[in-house]
Amino acid sequence: MSAEATAVIENKTGIHARPASVFVQKASSFKSKIQIKAKGKSVDAKSILMIMSMGLVKGTEVTLVADGPDEAQAVQELKALIDSKFGEE
Amino acid sequence: MAEKMKGKGVIAGVAVGKIMLAGQNLDGYLKDYKSKKKADEKKIAADALVTVAAKLVKTIDDLNKKDMKEQAAILEAHRMMVEDPAMSAAIDEQVDKSGSAPRAVLDAYESQAQIFEQMEDEYFRGRAVDMRDVGKRIAKYILGIKEPEIGEGKVIVAGQEIEPSVIAGLPSDKIAGVILGQGSTTSHAIIIAKTRAIPSIVGVGDAIEKIADGDPVIIDGETGEILIRPSDEERAAYDIKIKKQEELKAHYAQLRALPAVTSDGIKVVLACNIGSPADVDAAKDYGAEGVGLFRSEFVFMGKTDIPKEEDQFKEYKAAVEKCAGHLCVIRTMDIGGDKPLPYIQVGTEENPFLGYRAIRISLQRRDLFMPQLKAILRAGKFGKAGIMFPMVINVAEFKAAQALVEEAKVELVHEGKEYGDVQLGIMVETPAAAVMTPVLAKYVDFFSIGTNDLVQYTLAVDRGNAQISYLYNHFNPAVLRLIKRTIESANKEGKWAGMCGEMASDPNAAILLMAMGIKELSMSAPSIPKVKERIRNISSTKAKEILDKVMEMEDGDEIKKYLATIG
Repeated sequence: MSAEATAVIENKTGIHARPASVFVQKASSFKSKIQIKAKGKSVDAKSILMIMSMGLVKGTEVTLVADGPDEAQAVQELKALIDSKFGEE
Repeated sequence: MAEKMKGKGVIAGVAVGKIMLAGQNLDGYLKDYKSKKKADEKKIAADALVTVAAKLVKTIDDLNKKDMKEQAAILEAHRMMVEDPAMSAAIDEQVDKSGSAPRAVLDAYESQAQIFEQMEDEYFRGRAVDMRDVGKRIAKYILGIKEPEIGEGKVIVAGQEIEPSVIAGLPSDKIAGVILGQGSTTSHAIIIAKTRAIPSIVGVGDAIEKIADGDPVIIDGETGEILIRPSDEERAAYDIKIKKQEELKAHYAQLRALPAVTSDGIKVVLACNIGSPADVDAAKDYGAEGVGLFRSEFVFMGKTDIPKEEDQFKEYKAAVEKCAGHLCVIRTMDIGGDKPLPYIQVGTEENPFLGYRAIRISLQRRDLFMPQLKAILRAGKFGKAGIMFPMVINVAEFKAAQALVEEAKVELVHEGKEYGDVQLGIMVETPAAAVMTPVLAKYVDFFSIGTNDLVQYTLAVDRGNAQISYLYNHFNPAVLRLIKRTIESANKEGKWAGMCGEMASDPNAAILLMAMGIKELSMSAPSIPKVKERIRNISSTKAKEILDKVMEMEDGDEIKKYLATIG
């Protein structure tokens, strides 16, 4: 079993250092294994380096896949975080 | 006998201390490292990550307690790079290849750094340095290389290149001196050392590799001489020099409260250049009367987003208040492609110093400029403040900036925030502005001559290029003519002209500038006493005579030589 959701990066500067660090801190608070998929790649959502090196600019569609005890909640909260534009414009 | 070395002395003073190496070369340690089985090496690396991360957490806490938020944020990013799950996998992979934990760590971070370096985005490219720094930190821990301890006695920090944060992070009373293999007077590490009057030598070259950690040394920041492991006799000879230095310091301390006024009563304001509000406190000890240049870049550096008006306001307000009635001139953001920031996308430029930077960015980026203008205007309520625009080349730019200041005031009124009367001026640092000062003087409240760039742009000489540095001379007649023109233009329109470049701290230059009619000289605080002493020991008539003679001379080196004889 695993949970899955898609989201589109909407904040102007994309997943830059600050949003990436917020995202990783959130992802790390879950026990589940979480992957973030985009542009045909799939990386560990708990790795700031992997996420930053994907170059997620505004308009990129990403898929979140979680596998573990809190998978549904993880996917839901991380999607909400992306949808909130990380509190940016 | 001591082993001797020579570099270029850039901050005068004799210092004695033990060497603390920064920017160490790990090759020797790596060769001597005895690796065990691969599984053990993986365990060693994994444990090192945990320990280094824990140490970072402690340092970050300490920094936050001391309110050093910027340095804390940088280390927080480092911590995430240490704990990143991708790195532990990458390190394991490298252990399989090299069989050595420290080498695997270095290689793993190096390959990540290279990925960053190839990225489009300048911000990420800049992070490559951090990746290497983190890798080195972990490798050093595994190799058992102690982080430099500064408990007992003073240290002299040495390295090929030293990160400005290394010097900024050490307490002033622990650093006796600085030695750089590379670098120049205008390296950031040296600029910081200067505000603290730390004797410094640059340009030692590869000879610096011969200096070992913990070596006792004597350095002379005036002559550029370095004595490694000095004998007792040599030590004694320098003790005399140090004693003289102390006497001079005491003498300068007596000058602190006296004004910088010539024997016939002409006064010049001696102000200081600062990078943060805290610098004002140290500057007062040298008798600074206000701030002639607050480099606001420090407010912008190391941030991932545009600094908020409220945060900027706090910094500016603190500086204005500390000036206690004297003027505090705040220069608006002076950043370009040479120091990319995540929220200022300059793109790759062949020539960042002739590119999209400073006022050119500010005028196009309202989102960036407005919060800064509003913050300074509000700080003006708490004392006397001035706004200075950098890199201006024509009247239109000043007028556009002035219009935005008016808009900022309107916004503040709407927001119900109070603001003060603030002077508006420009930094005269391009030949174009200097030539146009007769016109610009009609609009501005003041000029501040930025000689570092003015000399560089006028003479087409890169000040960092050692091969042509002999051409870099603020006494070059072309430069002197532009300066004279600027000062006279201001005085003619009833405005004031000051100077905030390197030249302002040269006592010989001070004589000429005073004779030209300059009203203020702003410099790194430790230079104030020697400039003040020179001004107090001359009459304005004598200074005018010297100026007349100098303006007739045809060559910059001739002028330099002549001025050296009149001291």
